[in-house]
Amino acid sequence: MLSILKDLLRYNREFAAGAALLGIVVAMSAMSALAPMPPDDVYVVPPDLPPSWTYLMGTTSRGQDVFWQLSFAIRNTLLFGFIVALLSRILSLVIGLLSGYLGGFVDRVLMSINDTFIVMPLFPILVMFYFVMRDRMSWAALALVMAGLGWAYDARLIRSIAMSLRTRQFTEHSVYSGMSTRQIVAQEHLPYVMPIVFSTTMNNINWSIGLEVTLSVLGFTNINTPTIGVMIYWANQHTAMTAGVWWWVFFPVALVIMVFIGLFLLAVSMNEYIDPRSRLSRMRSAKT
Amino acid sequence: MQSINVYIVKRLGQFFLVVFIGINIVFFVTHATPIDPVEHSIMAAAMFGSTSPEAINMLREALADLYGLKGSLWDQYWTFWKRIAVADFGPSVSSFPTPVSTLIGRAIPWTVGLLLTAVIISWVVGNILGGLAGYYRENRLLKAAGVVAMGLHPIPYYIIAFVLLIIFGYLWPVLPLGGGYQRNMTPGWNLPFIGSVITHGFLPALSLVLVGFGAWFMGMRALVSNIVTEDYVVYAELAGVDRNRILGSYVMRNALVPQITGLGMSLGAIFNGAIITEQVFGYPGVGTLLVSAVHAGDYSLVIGITTISIIGVAGAVLVIDLLYPLLDPRVKIG
Amino acid sequence: MSVLRNLAVAASACVFAFSAYAQSSNLPRHETLIVENPEGTIKNPGWFNYWAVNAGGRSTGLHQLAMDTFWYIDPNYGIDGVWDNSLASEKPIYNADFTEMTVKLRSGIHWSDGVEFSADDVLYTINTHMNTNGLFWSAPIQINVASIEAPDKNTVVFKLKKPNSRFHALFTVRWNGMWMMPRHVFEKAGDPLKFAFNPPVSIGPYTLHSFDNNGKWFTWQKREDWKRTTVARYGEPGPKYVTYMDPGPPDKRVIAQLNHELDIIHDVAPEGMFTLAKQSKTSRGWFKGFPYAHPDPTLPSVILNHQNELFQNKDVRWALALLIDIKAVSMASYRGAATISAIAIPPTGTQPDFYHEPMETWLTDFEIDTGKSKYKPYDPTAGKQIADMLRPSMGDQIPSDPKQIAKAFGRGWWKPNPQVATELLERAGFTKRGDAWYTPKGQPFTIRITTEGESRPVMTRAGSMIAQQWRQFGIDAKIVVAEGGNLIFVRAAGDYEAIMSWSVETWGGHPDLSFFLDSWHSQFVAKPGSPQPPRNWQRWSNPELDKLIEQIRGIGFDDPKGVEIGKEYIKLTVREMPVIPLMAYNVFTVMDETYWTGYPNAETDPYTDPVPNWANTKYMMVKLRPRQK
Repeated sequence: MLSILKDLLRYNREFAAGAALLGIVVAMSAMSALAPMPPDDVYVVPPDLPPSWTYLMGTTSRGQDVFWQLSFAIRNTLLFGFIVALLSRILSLVIGLLSGYLGGFVDRVLMSINDTFIVMPLFPILVMFYFVMRDRMSWAALALVMAGLGWAYDARLIRSIAMSLRTRQFTEHSVYSGMSTRQIVAQEHLPYVMPIVFSTTMNNINWSIGLEVTLSVLGFTNINTPTIGVMIYWANQHTAMTAGVWWWVFFPVALVIMVFIGLFLLAVSMNEYIDPRSRLSRMRSAKT
Repeated sequence: MQSINVYIVKRLGQFFLVVFIGINIVFFVTHATPIDPVEHSIMAAAMFGSTSPEAINMLREALADLYGLKGSLWDQYWTFWKRIAVADFGPSVSSFPTPVSTLIGRAIPWTVGLLLTAVIISWVVGNILGGLAGYYRENRLLKAAGVVAMGLHPIPYYIIAFVLLIIFGYLWPVLPLGGGYQRNMTPGWNLPFIGSVITHGFLPALSLVLVGFGAWFMGMRALVSNIVTEDYVVYAELAGVDRNRILGSYVMRNALVPQITGLGMSLGAIFNGAIITEQVFGYPGVGTLLVSAVHAGDYSLVIGITTISIIGVAGAVLVIDLLYPLLDPRVKIG
Repeated sequence: MSVLRNLAVAASACVFAFSAYAQSSNLPRHETLIVENPEGTIKNPGWFNYWAVNAGGRSTGLHQLAMDTFWYIDPNYGIDGVWDNSLASEKPIYNADFTEMTVKLRSGIHWSDGVEFSADDVLYTINTHMNTNGLFWSAPIQINVASIEAPDKNTVVFKLKKPNSRFHALFTVRWNGMWMMPRHVFEKAGDPLKFAFNPPVSIGPYTLHSFDNNGKWFTWQKREDWKRTTVARYGEPGPKYVTYMDPGPPDKRVIAQLNHELDIIHDVAPEGMFTLAKQSKTSRGWFKGFPYAHPDPTLPSVILNHQNELFQNKDVRWALALLIDIKAVSMASYRGAATISAIAIPPTGTQPDFYHEPMETWLTDFEIDTGKSKYKPYDPTAGKQIADMLRPSMGDQIPSDPKQIAKAFGRGWWKPNPQVATELLERAGFTKRGDAWYTPKGQPFTIRITTEGESRPVMTRAGSMIAQQWRQFGIDAKIVVAEGGNLIFVRAAGDYEAIMSWSVETWGGHPDLSFFLDSWHSQFVAKPGSPQPPRNWQRWSNPELDKLIEQIRGIGFDDPKGVEIGKEYIKLTVREMPVIPLMAYNVFTVMDETYWTGYPNAETDPYTDPVPNWANTKYMMVKLRPRQK
């Protein structure tokens, strides 16, 4: 595993760049542990100060230090993306593998559900969830809902791989040797789909963070928990852009863009790593 | 022929199933909201004026009666399907007695017009550039385009729209900041009006294209760079066929099949995009309508809009599925 | 590469070729007044039948420019006094026991299609509301009116079912009122619930010019026969065209006014107001300098739910009030540009003359007895302290004359005192363990303050400051957001613990309190779980209050005894603290003087409320004059 990482870092510039970007972001979120003030208190520093050595990223019109506020925000945002990805991966793996391996009736039922989720207009549904749950729509609840909605595309992808695995000889061998469905799927097929799971994880984190930002900015989430979206939400409430408090918007947007590009580069490079053809050509061109 | 019929029937069955499940989910989720449309109307009416509580109670009765909201959930569910069957969503509760279809009818040309244009532009631009980039791998301009595509693609749509608005709204204010066309203009098929629509739609469309074209670009580039290693392309090159012709007639053509499927699927995202575009750019369309319907607890309007979008998306997927055998004869039907 | 180049050329061509169409309107700018309609985009723009409950827009210009009724009460001082006889030629004439109201009508007033307005229209309007359920004013008419008759063309007599000394309030505009219907149009229209009234036949000085099918704007044009409408008494309306539009979120509104494309902003965040004050020489608020905003006769408060057992004890309510530092709340919400009030009357219009000023001595002497100590909570200098706090950064625009300070920033408020709050809470059975407070039942003391989020940023900010102050004291307080229309529902359903909203609204110009107070009678308090009719959102019932309300019902609208009863109401609410009053609803209405002058303002000409969604702003049109030709 370590040697793969080393390989990737050495031969794959995308991977190195992505890892570096994410490194910065994670370091930023780790800073939240050192924050001198609780994240939801307002008017703890003088408002509206531009970036300076005392306030590295300036202060907000709510009297918060953008730097520390941002550290909490990015921590929560990352955690959110991670949880959604984790939960929805479990769903898509179970459904994709079962559907692909078992085929027939189970496959048809599961894929009908799957296709329904694919055509559902997601954003309206999320907004409606917000209206049903209102103040109970905590950060964790939103993560659960998003995980419940975010597995369908990838389940289809995993299913197609599982389907092709089913026809391979080793599956037949396993069946003849008396392994149960659970064993075959978990022990034989899972390793094959893991790479694709990793790369979809990155995309899924991107997707969920993107939606979280959008929902928060529009005020459809719990605005007490600082996230990147919630920060922009408060900045908009204080018309920060026209009032000239640009740093309140700029730093969160810049940081979240770093997250997106970082994750995306990791996903791309992993995809390439999985596909030996492009890996070979890259190594060849790296040598020449 | 037998197998094609079976295939079509199966696809159609799938379509109806998906639409049925989707509409059911929407019905029950909307009816689970605690927002009571009657209460909403009353508050809108009583917000500012002098109102006696006695009168409000009386009005509440009258409105519940008028809106037909009496009766159990199952009664409403049954009425709902009876109406869907004849493509009637009934009157909007928050704009009573205007029919839901009238409200949607006014908004939908804007949404479809903008989003369809944007999706098609990004699909065409993304595929052409991606194809070129996959074939001419060493071209610097195309490499640069690749970097732009990769950089923009993962950023969520809201952020892109927001940044564009800041650039063209505050830093370099050349484009209108909202609306679908110039104020006080009479809509019609004349140059000034069309021009006005294009200028007003430019920024929203640009944001959609910027976010959208990256995925097509990268997909096409990957497909093309795989295809160029295939034997028939190598032969064609050795035989001295013009390179542009190879790209156009052999490579791209084969690579397009999966991209067309993708186009069908991406129509699904149209609706997600609509709400955000309209919120950020103040563009007219069903997104704003939907949000205000949700705010007002207007079940009939919410259901009307989401149902149309579900049918639209599932329909697009169906059409693509049905066309697929024609596009790619290699696809095994069964 | 030609593809790339072509794309680039095409894109830039698009931008420049059509830049001509980027202008926002094709009407002469110097003849047009452009106003923000806070209703935003109208869902059903082709609907102008105001009398059906779910009309399209209301403040799209429809009720400011095209509607009229008997009387207007100005929220400020009025052009010719607070009371204006509009379609009526004199004040309402009641009989001795308030069971009959006679209205004398003005003659020579015409609808925009040339038909003369008369008692027939009034009879039609009232009879239609009596015979149809579900119209906007059906219920109050059916409850009150036994019959109506017109002895002559210019007189109508209402016979009431029961005595009602405030029946005329229904036809008296404060924001809106019961508008008169054109009989000759509606009579032919069939079911009045299903008639769109498009285009509307106007009785105001303007008629509809055009509107956007998507509900983003409505343009009105001055009637050629504007002389045959009621405002003609004050002269010719200035603007030839008036456009009411949805300019988008606050940022865009500020930009639009900086570009002189929006003459009146309805409301904007305080920061947006400051930006405009700094960057646009022609923009001004109600006050020339700080705090700029117009205080509406509405009283944002922390409304506590009296059907929640935690807030049934007045000691708890007082403790919570004594934990609020109004200076911080004023800074957090309005950046100091708030007009504070310790008593449950909005500190606006003529109300301070009637109530705030005379009550000062009583308030200063008011004392709380916690059982352990006695405390005089009123700090008459709170407003002055806010002004002093702002002076270093805002300079000369902060007044130093105490009278001006009282007008702009308000008078006193409650001095925060955690010690007294602790004693009050302990007397109520609450306990503090460690850093956290627990309820008498031993549960953590949590309060969720519902706010309206993006729809009302300033209140959301005030709420989050108050939550923080309570939190610092050891109460687990947080805000929750009920975006947009959702708050209305939560508030009516009583589905909240505390809410940033208002249950006190007054006429502004007139001291009568019945406008909101009558609805606070305990006879209207809903059972838990069922919806509460406006405006007693706190669901407070109190026998003493009921007596005061009944006394008001028994006297006339202009009876000077009304003010005395009002003072008793203030004393009662100070003792009981049913809601925690904070400040006036300050609206940052910003007016651009590039094209128009003559806007109302606090210093020289407070003739009406500039907040443009009020129907009372019709008086603004006759005072506006073009600046350049």
